[in-house]
Amino acid sequence: MALASLMGQRGSAATATAGSNDAMAPRAGHIPAKAKSIIFLFMAGGPSQLEMFDWKPKLAQLHGQPIPDSFIEGKRFAFMDSSFKNKSTLLGPKRAFRQHGQSGAWVSDLLPHTAQIVDDIAIVKSCATNLFNHAPAKLFMNTGSGQFGRPSMGSWVTYGIGSESQDLPGFVVLQSGPRGPRGGAVNWGSGFLPTTYQGVPLRGQGDPILNLSNPDGIDAARQRRALDALQDLNLQHQVATKDPEILTRIASYEMAYRMQTSAPELMDLSRESDATLRLYGADREKPSFARNCLLARRLVERGVRFVQLYHTNWDSHGGPGETLEDDFPKRCFETDQGCAALVRDLQSRGLLDSTIVVWGGEFGRTPMGEARDKTGRNHHIDAFTMWFAGGGIPGGRVIGETDELGFNAVADRAHVHDIHATLLHLLGLEHERLTYRFQGRDYRLTDIHGELIKPLLA
Amino acid sequence: MAPFSLFAGILCDGTLSGVSRCLVSLAASIALTTSVSAAPDYLRDIKPLLARQCVLCHGPTAKKGDLLLDTARGALAGGQHGPAIVPGKPDNSLILKVVTGTHAEIGRMPLKRPPLDSTQVGLLRDWIAAGAQAPADEVPSSDRHWSFVPPIPPALPEAATSGHPIDTFIHRRLTEERLAPSPEADPAVLFRRLTFDLTGLPPSPAELDAYLADPEHDRYERAVDRLLASPHHGERWARWWLDAARYADSNGYSVDGSRTVWPYRDWVVRAMNADLPFDTFTRWQIAGDLLPGEGTDAMIASGFHRHTQINHEGGIDAEQFRLESIIDRVNTTGTVWLGVSVGCAQCHDHKFDPISQRDYYALFAFFNSTENDGHAASDYNATGPVFDLPNETEAAAIAQWEQELKRLEQAVADAGTTPAAKDRQKELAAWRKKRPTTTRTLVMRELDKPRETVVFVKGDFTRPGAKVTPATPVALTPKSAPAARNRSDLADWLVSRENPLTARVTANRVWQVYFGRGLVETENDFGTMGELPSHPELLDWLACDFRDNGWSLKRLHRLIVTSATYRQASTHRNDLAETDARNKWFARQNRLRLEAEQIRDAALSTAGLLDPRIGGPPVFPPQPGGLGAFTQNMRPWVVSKGGDRFRRALYTHLQRSTLHPALSVFDAPDTFTACTRRQRSNTPLQALTLLNDAAFHELAAAFGKRIAHLTGTDEQRLTQAFRLATARVPKPSEVTSLARLLHAERTVGPNDSDGWTAVARVLLNLDESITRE
Repeated sequence: MALASLMGQRGSAATATAGSNDAMAPRAGHIPAKAKSIIFLFMAGGPSQLEMFDWKPKLAQLHGQPIPDSFIEGKRFAFMDSSFKNKSTLLGPKRAFRQHGQSGAWVSDLLPHTAQIVDDIAIVKSCATNLFNHAPAKLFMNTGSGQFGRPSMGSWVTYGIGSESQDLPGFVVLQSGPRGPRGGAVNWGSGFLPTTYQGVPLRGQGDPILNLSNPDGIDAARQRRALDALQDLNLQHQVATKDPEILTRIASYEMAYRMQTSAPELMDLSRESDATLRLYGADREKPSFARNCLLARRLVERGVRFVQLYHTNWDSHGGPGETLEDDFPKRCFETDQGCAALVRDLQSRGLLDSTIVVWGGEFGRTPMGEARDKTGRNHHIDAFTMWFAGGGIPGGRVIGETDELGFNAVADRAHVHDIHATLLHLLGLEHERLTYRFQGRDYRLTDIHGELIKPLLA
Repeated sequence: MAPFSLFAGILCDGTLSGVSRCLVSLAASIALTTSVSAAPDYLRDIKPLLARQCVLCHGPTAKKGDLLLDTARGALAGGQHGPAIVPGKPDNSLILKVVTGTHAEIGRMPLKRPPLDSTQVGLLRDWIAAGAQAPADEVPSSDRHWSFVPPIPPALPEAATSGHPIDTFIHRRLTEERLAPSPEADPAVLFRRLTFDLTGLPPSPAELDAYLADPEHDRYERAVDRLLASPHHGERWARWWLDAARYADSNGYSVDGSRTVWPYRDWVVRAMNADLPFDTFTRWQIAGDLLPGEGTDAMIASGFHRHTQINHEGGIDAEQFRLESIIDRVNTTGTVWLGVSVGCAQCHDHKFDPISQRDYYALFAFFNSTENDGHAASDYNATGPVFDLPNETEAAAIAQWEQELKRLEQAVADAGTTPAAKDRQKELAAWRKKRPTTTRTLVMRELDKPRETVVFVKGDFTRPGAKVTPATPVALTPKSAPAARNRSDLADWLVSRENPLTARVTANRVWQVYFGRGLVETENDFGTMGELPSHPELLDWLACDFRDNGWSLKRLHRLIVTSATYRQASTHRNDLAETDARNKWFARQNRLRLEAEQIRDAALSTAGLLDPRIGGPPVFPPQPGGLGAFTQNMRPWVVSKGGDRFRRALYTHLQRSTLHPALSVFDAPDTFTACTRRQRSNTPLQALTLLNDAAFHELAAAFGKRIAHLTGTDEQRLTQAFRLATARVPKPSEVTSLARLLHAERTVGPNDSDGWTAVARVLLNLDESITRE
């Protein structure tokens, strides 16, 4: 019936034959694709662009002064009640900035490794979103909606063009940091799309995929015998009922069996050279963001379509454990080398051309400071920075401008819907044509919005 | 386009005076469909096409371009651009130019809708070429969409092969399609199907044997009655409703703390078992809190609209999320009862359906005056209005507490202004806080003073527009209907005779469970963009029978499962693979993978471990460790002890951010929005779950022990075990396959559990075991 329910979709995915027999089979999109895979490095909590990429000398000058009313009139913020009661003052950048590479992009001293790859990435300083609370904003970045229950980008992409790997899930999620991202599994959920397209978490401990190991007492030989008997009986019944769905079931069991081998092989870093591990700053065993970056490369090497890495705790309000002084630099240290190494490593293996790397969080931070225990910044949705690399995206570009305080995007505004439209485009999917009919209307990742971000395309 | 027999609803104007006209036309169409002629027949082929594709704009209401296409006369007369048809000259006919998009000035029709397919264009062309014949006394098509006109019981076609009303409708269509129905399914397969569909469980071996040994001709009907009376019937059909209710045991959003609302779930089980009439069932859920005379169950039922999420995240705007909850209530009401996506009208007038933005906010106004749900509360236990449901012990404790409270109040009064007064007051204040806790459940509660409701410009709540008051959608409300002021009036409208949608939508969703697809395939879109019903008369007949006979769901269940259509074999047929691969005409039953809960319940039953107790707080069956690592709050999952480890999956705690993986992997709904049809995916992760999950392996081991304790030869035991899993006697070749496995796995002797566990594991993984055939 899964076949039937997909076939029943009008104007559905790129190729309307996405039945359950080959729901994850690779297929062509609407237009020629520049890239095959995406790795999305999700900095959960909203990293401060003003301490990383968006250098604002004027903000340093005006440090301590109240923000002009013209900037905040009619705006809504998180913790609105308290922010309005104690109207906050401007907070100058907490870090030193320097220009790097041939492009001369400004990067702060917190990102020494990222500074080395500025000529290979496109930095977009004019990103914007709609929602200023963590969970809805994360959903918005992932699904184009703040409502729970919508399909995430990875689900849309695999629904549209399947995956090159038939031995691993097409959409994989990895996690580092002290806890999972707010909202949890809905961030990689398939919403109303079939669960086939849901992101599969690769876990740092225990089985990398739930129920990957045989039960206690079942060795490889016994598992194979069970599968052989199962296939034999299922086939006999298929002959009796003529139901093609049984053939799909048989294929699913065989892929599950292959996964039991391919997933541990993926996680086994013993054959990665010491030089590679040094490049990432990763340990072969110990879970870390850097190790996840290396795993991400191994995943796209094996044809996985969509990989998402979460690193949590970027929420720098200034309270305990979230200060710009002490905690923010730790997050940078934990991620900087892995991100840069991933781009370098993909490049040296000839994979960067076909792999898009995306770096960013659900929103950015305000130019105004927050004084709690130490200093911090509030959530900000009108201007924040993301960077993009590979997959035909031109490197060495800085795209978009913010005003002199870094409050609003004033040139080449790149809204989340635009980012989605552009990423789909690079994968060969037209965002207006990638639709799914649910509860009486055609849904899209970009809802009714989305414009291609031209400077990212050539 | 396939021949399309006239559907009464299209012809009728919805008033009672239209009935006789309808029946005349219907009778005429039946006569016409039996004769096959080369040229398309106007009434059968053309009029329905025009009614569906054109009349919304070219009918008496809109009359775009002064053109009426509700009759052939109107098409001949034409409008601003002249006649739409020129009999005998298709190439000169305006209508063909515009539907093919070849007219120089007029854009392709239907405007902003998918173009006609080549069959439809061909029918038009052939009809015009043959002279555009049509009856002179033609009744104009209604320009109202079929589902927005209340159903009128269609006349039953003459019995073709059986006296059952459903079969007469189905068989008439099969005859038109020149297809034969399938024979009745094998008795064991049919009995298993029936037991799953009515109770969500497989038949026990004793029930199965008794059924097969029953020599009476009415054994099937008696089985239907027995299963409908089973207390497990309510559990199965409660799950069906809980999908639509977006039921869960946690608050959702990022904090996702636990909530207590399981008394609502148990009430749905009771309501299904008692066959609570669907109109009452509806009234209680929409407005039970406003109906004090209806008792405790009505109050519990009002929890239907408390299954919205509650956001406890720091820094949020409480008003924004209060409004989100109300939007959810409006949209869910639209989806579940009306089968239309009113949600589109949140931002703009509905493009294709007659729900205006004003209608949307008038519906919104019904829900806008309830107490806050606890959004933005720093106390994660704050969940808005609750209703206490003390059990006996709790009631006694409360009575005791109240007694003491009275004594202390008296003491305060007695103390007056004496020096002891302060101490007495302190004692009283302390005691007030000590009210014993009871089981409680989330309910709706209306504010004393209603909130004002306004239209939100483009759906943006920061842009208030015109004021509105509660009202049901104008296009779906008879002019004579009394004004609706509160949720109770809204409920009355939903289940009124004049409501064109509720009975159809509900009957369709019940049908969908039994066949895997509704008579209207777009079960959540009965609007103008939805699919037309495959069997319009049958749908209306079922809807009217349901509505006019006390809104009895059990009557509807019985009707469907006693039909020959339901009882057919599900085996695929070569002839159908060509002509009706998707089984639109129901020439056979469908094989349907069991729902997530049924997969676990079936394994529990087969293993002999099921604890069949009904109701109570959620339980925590085993699940893989470490699931919390990917969520904001890592919650411990303390596995239930004793029988609670093996309860039906209906009772598994539903934590929205981390649903039990064995449920979600088999397409259990995500609980965030109303789910009116489950997906049936087929994935490797499902295989890993059934093969390797410790919880399933525990059941395989128990099943293995159960087989080991059976008596008889290996072959006899294998046969028995196969029947436990599938209800069917295996073929010799199937026993041989299992025997081969048994002998390879057996390490010690005939009762060695390794061998039997291996067999049990394979049996639980069979496609057939997780499929209702």
